[in-house]
Amino acid sequence: MRMHRKLALGAATLALVLSACAPGEGGSSPSASAGATGGEGERSIVIGSAGFYEAQLMAEIYAQALEANGYTVERKLGIGPRDTVQPALESGDFDLEPEYIGSLLTYLGGEAAGDPEETFTNLQAALDEVGLTALDYAPAQDQNAFVVRQETASELGVSTMSELADAEGASDLVWGLPPECETNVLCSGALEQYGFTYGDLNIEQYAACDAPVAQALNDGVVDVAELCSTQPDIERFNFVVLEDDLQTQPSENIAPIVRNEWLDAAPADFAEILNAVSAAMDTETLTSLGVRVAVDQESIEDVAASWLSDNGLN
Amino acid sequence: MEFFGEVAAWFADPANWNGPDGIPARIGEHLVLSIVPLAAAVAVALPVGAWIGHTGRFSNLVINIANVGRAIPSLAILALAAMLLQRTIVDIGLRDSASEIVTMIALFFLAIPPILTNAYVGINEVDDQIVEAGRGMGMRDLEILRRVEIPVGLPVILVGVRTAAVQVVATATLGAVVATGGLGRYIIDGIAQRRFDEVFAGALIVAALSIATELGFSFIERRATSPGLRGRDTAPRELAQAGRPGGI
Repeated sequence: MRMHRKLALGAATLALVLSACAPGEGGSSPSASAGATGGEGERSIVIGSAGFYEAQLMAEIYAQALEANGYTVERKLGIGPRDTVQPALESGDFDLEPEYIGSLLTYLGGEAAGDPEETFTNLQAALDEVGLTALDYAPAQDQNAFVVRQETASELGVSTMSELADAEGASDLVWGLPPECETNVLCSGALEQYGFTYGDLNIEQYAACDAPVAQALNDGVVDVAELCSTQPDIERFNFVVLEDDLQTQPSENIAPIVRNEWLDAAPADFAEILNAVSAAMDTETLTSLGVRVAVDQESIEDVAASWLSDNGLN
Repeated sequence: MEFFGEVAAWFADPANWNGPDGIPARIGEHLVLSIVPLAAAVAVALPVGAWIGHTGRFSNLVINIANVGRAIPSLAILALAAMLLQRTIVDIGLRDSASEIVTMIALFFLAIPPILTNAYVGINEVDDQIVEAGRGMGMRDLEILRRVEIPVGLPVILVGVRTAAVQVVATATLGAVVATGGLGRYIIDGIAQRRFDEVFAGALIVAALSIATELGFSFIERRATSPGLRGRDTAPRELAQAGRPGGI
């Protein structure tokens, strides 16, 4: 998630600059208030998103899915980091956004659990207080994950972290872990839960979710690396994400977050459309789409459109 | 002011002076990380630079390539070295030192341009009359290079080595991005763990080491320069005048 924050920060700065330059983008402009009054059969909605590509991609997918069902969508994509986007949503600047359930719950003061269902329930309770609702979450998660090369997975016969901990030869593995791992309960704490002794691990210090650690994993400098579960490198290098079977990492499934005011007056098919999108979006799919956007440099619009049509959603 | 107190406290903490991540150990790693690529660059770039300076052959080509190399950001060289060579390094069984070797290779390429350029310029700009005098005394090419051009061009050549050394010592910090030891660890780890006293302390040590390198090489330069050449600006004139009193 660190990479995302950096991206989000950059995008926030950009968004600030852009919004300062663009006339008529202020809170009182007609376009902004259109979202606030939309609903009731009007099928007109304003969709916002954070700055990094994955959030923009999900928002674009929501937008095109709704457009395919006769909605008029105004896009405010790439607004900025969570602490810019969230107040804007609550204040009615826009009506709908994609969010990660764990991070949003943490932002709202709650504690994200490893179990998505539990996180989602707590998130819903927290959202009630600010007049928002989360629709169904997707199986797709973007969370920190321990990743190995395909060959390591097959040689050791492992697909989950527990299996890795029990695997013969696991003690020979070299780990690419971030410097802060030792003091982070979600890193060293998680590894200890699986039965690894952090102090005994052979560690090379690489920042998590970053390009150098992915390169080092691919080249065999390290055998296990901490990456983000939808990082394009995972698909590029054909890595295997080990399942976090003890659910040590906060669940970060992606869900549409919508303003209650809008939802209460929404057409009947609104939730159905978005729930169908979420149901079809799993982590591998999202990773592949991310590769097309971030590596192949396809436009977000094209990637969203082709995925929706492949899944019969537009 | 409170922050500087924290930095001072960091330096005062005995824990930061002991063990594998203590200051002496990190400085040691940093020096190894710096000296190896610098020595390799000297071994390659000095002879090549001297030779093209002596013959004038391929000088445009070589100097231009070196200068293009200079324009590539160090981090990009490091990333490129990792991308292209890391796998091979692992395959030939040097896995445990792969990060260090990748970093050293990147630093080697960083050190080449100033050494090469200054060696070329230092030799090339030696007064033709002096070279001719050497030839007149019956010296062969290599002898002229060794006994005339290199001693006369040495101050310029050594400036190139000094520039490279300071750059390498300062840039070796980047190795921490690809998991080497050295002083960069304080900066990279400090940022990752939001320990900014450590980041600042690390930067201070790197700066101090760079300055020490600069001073050390300046000292060597002065010692290595032939007494006749000290105060370079006046030396050639004195030499020229020394030639004159024959009353031409």
